[in-house]
Amino acid sequence: MHILLFAQIKDAAGVAELDVKISGQLNSSDVWKQIIASRPELAPYQKITRLARNGEYADSHTRFTDADEVALIPPVSGG
Amino acid sequence: MKIEIQITPHHIEPTHGFASEFTGVAGAIADFSGVVRGEENGEAIAALEYEAFSPMAENEMRRILASLAESFPCLAARVIHRVGIIPAGDIAIQVNILARHRDAAFATLSGFMNRLKQDVPIWKRRALPLRPPAAQHADKSAPAVRPHKHIPSVDEALEAIRSHVSSLHPVATQLEQAGGRILLETVYAQEDLPTTDRSTRDGFAILQGDSSPVFRVVDTLYAADWKPRQLKTGEAVRVATGSAMPCENLRVVMQEDVERGGDSLKILSPDSSDNVRRRGAEMSAGQPILTAGTRLNAGALSLLATIGCTRPKVSPRLKVLHFLTGDELVSPDQKPMPAQIRDSNSIFIRGCMQPFPAELRQQRLPEDFERAKTVVIDQRPGIDSADVLLISGGASVGDKDFTRKLLEFLGFQTVFQRVNVRPGAPFIFGVAGRRIAFGLPGNPLSHFVTWHAFVTVALARLTGGTPPVFSRGTLASDLPDAGSPRETLWPARCQISEGKLELTPLRWNSSGDVTCLADANALIRVPVNIAELKAGAPVEFTSF
Repeated sequence: MHILLFAQIKDAAGVAELDVKISGQLNSSDVWKQIIASRPELAPYQKITRLARNGEYADSHTRFTDADEVALIPPVSGG
Repeated sequence: MKIEIQITPHHIEPTHGFASEFTGVAGAIADFSGVVRGEENGEAIAALEYEAFSPMAENEMRRILASLAESFPCLAARVIHRVGIIPAGDIAIQVNILARHRDAAFATLSGFMNRLKQDVPIWKRRALPLRPPAAQHADKSAPAVRPHKHIPSVDEALEAIRSHVSSLHPVATQLEQAGGRILLETVYAQEDLPTTDRSTRDGFAILQGDSSPVFRVVDTLYAADWKPRQLKTGEAVRVATGSAMPCENLRVVMQEDVERGGDSLKILSPDSSDNVRRRGAEMSAGQPILTAGTRLNAGALSLLATIGCTRPKVSPRLKVLHFLTGDELVSPDQKPMPAQIRDSNSIFIRGCMQPFPAELRQQRLPEDFERAKTVVIDQRPGIDSADVLLISGGASVGDKDFTRKLLEFLGFQTVFQRVNVRPGAPFIFGVAGRRIAFGLPGNPLSHFVTWHAFVTVALARLTGGTPPVFSRGTLASDLPDAGSPRETLWPARCQISEGKLELTPLRWNSSGDVTCLADANALIRVPVNIAELKAGAPVEFTSF
């Protein structure tokens, strides 16, 4: 699974992209477990960060597979 | 609904509406510009840096607009969001909404901006402070102002001004508004000029070294044509002066030097010159074109236009506030009573400010400290935002001379309040952060001398221009009675005579003397305690 990082999350991880290998279909909280296992320093951001799957915000029904592109979206501040 | 979304790293111009196909249908056009403010959390900032997850941000904006359209039907919406470093004062987001009626346009605009700030993956990353942190730190730890303990000489006063005044923050400015300002960045050519080889004659382009007896004309190019092709031996292309050549390594035979029959061509007199201006002959990409510190005159502006530099970084317009004191002054259109004189200092300052792109505001102050205080308290925001505060009159030490007190009341620290010079000794210089203030003596001649000797140096420093300096010239006539325990800045007429700079001293008796002002275009430095200067003596002077 290809993961894109932005803003303060990118700063915390020190990289803009990550690859995490997953199998089967995971819900959001399982995806977070995988991310935090790979990058423990991102744990504090879970509460404030939304996941997007292939360019759209995920909700509680969204399922993720290894082929998906996931974006970690911390609170936005455009405009 | 028609929707246009753009995320761009480039400057955004404010626009009114778009989508001209709705002209006559749209009854409401709502235009919104979100602009980067010059402060963030109470700190002055130079810019904000934005980051976007662009593909998703565009989709989200589209989705938000489409969902708003279900409740508030609109005809068209366009959103441009800038990312990267955006200077304060520049537009970060521009939104144009077209609707039949205003309610839908307003609701869409407001709803869109609210949801953008919740859902669209764009982030303000960091604020760039207005000044480097090191400089800010220095400002706080040690007061930058170094007041003079003794009465400074002319040189010391100039040095104090130079060390306390630095160039204002540059602003990117459209060429139309940049005339007369100082360029504060070096501008480099972005591309070769000309961008292709160009003909300098009406004639026929052929390969260099091609000595075919007869040529076949294979094409015709007019000045604006761009038709690249590789010419072969024996081929010619008809070109006009200024035509972009179809390929490299060509020369142009003038039309007077050929004999033409239909499509064929004979060269009558072999001309040795190429008649081609080569690519990059004028400038090549990366070459510095104008250096920082250049005053942008009409020629410089046209050069910037030629190379496509349409928003050069230049000195900002100076904000200058001029207070005039002196109860004896009447407006020039009035007849003065016996104890009154007409005010000539206001129009003098206005005239002197003409070469400087500036906003000049002028106002009278009552010649009474308490009453003057109430006026300045009322004007406080305008005073605090002025780059330069000028006070004419009240600079001496009489009962009514409150300039220094007033400047200190306004938060200025006095660097010096007198200069060892005549005329114009009661001349005050104060600073408050980056803002500067001058108290000029009210006597017109002193006012004139201190302006040209000192204030012009500060204005040049503020705008990033070249401050006037003292040059060497020759005295054209005797200067008797020159001696004084103070250095004298003697009004003079400077002209070139037989290749030499000659200075004719003008007559003045007192510091209220005004007859020489119209003729004077220079000040001669007469050193302390000199009995007389003879014609032909070398002198230092500054001219204006």
